[in-house]
Amino acid sequence: MQIFVDTKYDFIKWRFAAVAFSLVWILIGAAFYFRNGINWGIDFAGGANIVLRFKDAVPMDKLRADLTDASIQQYGKPEERSVLIRQPQLGREGDYAGQTVAKLLKDLNPESADPNKIDINYHGRDRISDLLFSTDPDRKGTNEAAKKYYFDMAQNIINKRSEVGLFTNMSQVTSVPGVTAADASVLNQRTFLGAFTLLNQETVGPQVGRELQMKAVWAVVLSTLAMGAYLWLRFDIMFGFAAIVCIVHDVLVSLAFLGMIHGEFSLNIVAALLLIVGYSINDTVVTYDRVRENRRKLKQRMTLEEQLNLAMNQTLSRTILTSGSVVIVLIALIIFGGKVIHEFAWILLIGVLAGTYSTVTIVPAVAIAWNNLTGRKHDISGPTRSARIEEPRSETREPRKRKAV
Amino acid sequence: MNRNVIWKVVLILGVLVAFIVAVIPTSNNPEPIKRGLDLKGGTHLVMRVNVGDAVRLETDQAAETLKTQAQKLNLPTVTTRRVNDASFLATVPQGVSTADYERLAKDYLGAWDMTRTPEGAMLFKMKTASQTSIERDTIDHAVETIRNRVDALGVTEPIIAPESGNRIVIQLPGVDDPARVKDIIKTTAVLQFRLVEGSPGADAASTLATVPENMKNDVDILQGTREDELGRPVGVEYYAIRKNVPVTGTDLKNARVQKGQLGQPNVGMSFTPDGARKFGALTGANVGRRLAIVLDNKVMSAPNIKSKIEDSGVIEGQFTQAQASDLALVLRSGSLPASLTTLEERTVGPSLGRDSIRQGVLASLIGFIALIAAVLLYYHGAGINAVLALLLNLIILLGMMAYFKATLTLPGIAGIILTLGMAIDSNVLVFERIREELREGKTVRAAIEQGFSRAFGTIIDTHMTTIISALFLFQFGTGPIKGFAVTLLIGLFASVFTAFFVSRVIFDVVYKPEDRPSTISI
Repeated sequence: MQIFVDTKYDFIKWRFAAVAFSLVWILIGAAFYFRNGINWGIDFAGGANIVLRFKDAVPMDKLRADLTDASIQQYGKPEERSVLIRQPQLGREGDYAGQTVAKLLKDLNPESADPNKIDINYHGRDRISDLLFSTDPDRKGTNEAAKKYYFDMAQNIINKRSEVGLFTNMSQVTSVPGVTAADASVLNQRTFLGAFTLLNQETVGPQVGRELQMKAVWAVVLSTLAMGAYLWLRFDIMFGFAAIVCIVHDVLVSLAFLGMIHGEFSLNIVAALLLIVGYSINDTVVTYDRVRENRRKLKQRMTLEEQLNLAMNQTLSRTILTSGSVVIVLIALIIFGGKVIHEFAWILLIGVLAGTYSTVTIVPAVAIAWNNLTGRKHDISGPTRSARIEEPRSETREPRKRKAV
Repeated sequence: MNRNVIWKVVLILGVLVAFIVAVIPTSNNPEPIKRGLDLKGGTHLVMRVNVGDAVRLETDQAAETLKTQAQKLNLPTVTTRRVNDASFLATVPQGVSTADYERLAKDYLGAWDMTRTPEGAMLFKMKTASQTSIERDTIDHAVETIRNRVDALGVTEPIIAPESGNRIVIQLPGVDDPARVKDIIKTTAVLQFRLVEGSPGADAASTLATVPENMKNDVDILQGTREDELGRPVGVEYYAIRKNVPVTGTDLKNARVQKGQLGQPNVGMSFTPDGARKFGALTGANVGRRLAIVLDNKVMSAPNIKSKIEDSGVIEGQFTQAQASDLALVLRSGSLPASLTTLEERTVGPSLGRDSIRQGVLASLIGFIALIAAVLLYYHGAGINAVLALLLNLIILLGMMAYFKATLTLPGIAGIILTLGMAIDSNVLVFERIREELREGKTVRAAIEQGFSRAFGTIIDTHMTTIISALFLFQFGTGPIKGFAVTLLIGLFASVFTAFFVSRVIFDVVYKPEDRPSTISI
């Protein structure tokens, strides 16, 4: 199967419309940011994120009354009975999430008033193991073997909990393999099923948040510049500059999209942006590689516009195919990848599409403008071997002769 | 077949075997590729060590030394006041020369710079070098104490590493009770045995009133729990405790949970030989008085000394079994030299990790299969070549992660699948080039040769740009993102190898030069 063979599209013609389209897109994104503000995630804004899964229906009103400064929303599908609690940063360091969870454990579990009872939906293996070892329902004694016996039993109970999400019925606990009737009776007396289990808790203090913010900005700026410098060395300054414009364009388009969906600006998003910086430039490199190669075997005079059009048409099928294969993967990640990587995959998708689009629109636009402003030095009238744009490697070498055995 | 090609095939098979071996779980190594905290569940903590605490302690001790040495020489009493963590002001009575004190300072306070204030007082400032060394020791000591505690908790493969800015990064995979672990890590656990003066009262002022006048400057007022006759807590009360600390937690040899007379859990301690001697001297000389057991500046209990005790002691309090065993644990592992402040915490519960893996793997599999289908559809025979290269890429990637002990994180799974998407790029570049060469009328062999050699420069360029961004990602990223960057970097190197070397060898094997092939499925 082949597509886009010997195409003769005039990409250059569309460049002004494309620049206008990109500008409008970015401006719309900016307008969204202007209206809604930046939705800083916990990584940068600091504060706490807590995800809890409940045994019964989520007591939303109770949570809201209990945690007045937090925003509380459903997490995932309603049948998962999970909530995300977001607490703002209070301008000081501290264990925000830990304190909130401790408060909820106390307020939502009346049984927790008895210090001798263990919340089997919240506490871990060691608590259960300690309880069983110290009460010793199976008469194993107080030696190391007994300790291991109860430790393994506790581990099995916790594994079971991870598997089912959280216990909703005490019989789930007592039916874990290895738990005897005597153990079950101790567990029934000394443990209870708490209202929720902890899926995830994060606290970021103001200091770390500020640092991460700075690091993120620097990482994106520096990697863009590094990319431009590398391409300047490998090709020429016009192309290095066009590449930087292209990267900035792709990042802005992705950020604009994030603004439109009011997505959370998190570390994962910064990672996605860095990837876009590295990846979206690939199409551009391939195209310009081809421009350089064509110049070497040029027979008649060609303007930069013609050179670019030729190279873009020659590499078009490759561009579409590669972007297509990455897009396939990203769509799979978006649909099936779960909540945690959802926004990450979306931003990457937009970035990759923007990268392909900018290769055939923005990069030629910038290169042509540069060429026009610098006296059309890039219109070539014969084969060039200019050191500036020549690859260090010799291309004319004959393919190596092989000796047949 | 060409000998050269045979060699290459052998090399590729060797690589294949080596990496497959690396990723197969064995009984010694049941988890060849480590899962990150986000997949396994666990806690990532960044703590700041408040090194100021340790510096302050040193400052107080220096002030105390100056006072006691002056006392020994019968010099008029000097009053000291701490100005900040690392400096204190010593004022001598009106009309007394400071010369004697300065001589003392020269002898005993070598690590301090002294300047005279306009009012005639002496300002002592800790030398920067000694302050730095105290701070460094404090961090080392804190790291060691935390490691002891984490080891005692039985956490497997923890990471406890100091970082710039007086910070310690703690990663505890598989921890399922983060609140307890944090409590254990953060407890300072400074245990002291100090004599009680006067009698306890309901507030600080009334307690101080029971202390003899000449002792008033030598006691601290500390809070404790008031108990009724049955030992149940009924409120707080205040104790006047001597400032002098004759025995501390460092004199302990061991601490463990035991049962009290009523079956309530408490913590039994035994002393080191040196500690036992000190404890014996303290209790022997003070029979009939009350001895306070002070933990982190809180009076746990203040029993009467009935007779001289040497070997062991008991800490009583309203402990639950769990509290008592945690206290015994922190006492065994030693006290922290300074308090800790949580700067960052990320905890993933085990069930979330399980969900994430399930979804991540499912998404990746679907993406991978779709990718393979697309490549086969588009390139037919050569598509098989690309798929083989891709599979080898995946195996190398996973094998390298196992060899380098890299951690697989959730973004890392996305990174793997994305790397494969990008690895296809190299194959596509080559294949498209071969097609072009064929269209220009070249023979199959010449097209293959040209396709690979022409695409090489481009492939290097596209990989370099992505490597640059992966390096920045690694440099700036934390935790899972770093894992992603590592995956990406390894994948990029693997993809140069597979797309350029492996896939070339496959072509050489299928379309042997000596056969002069005239058609190619691409």
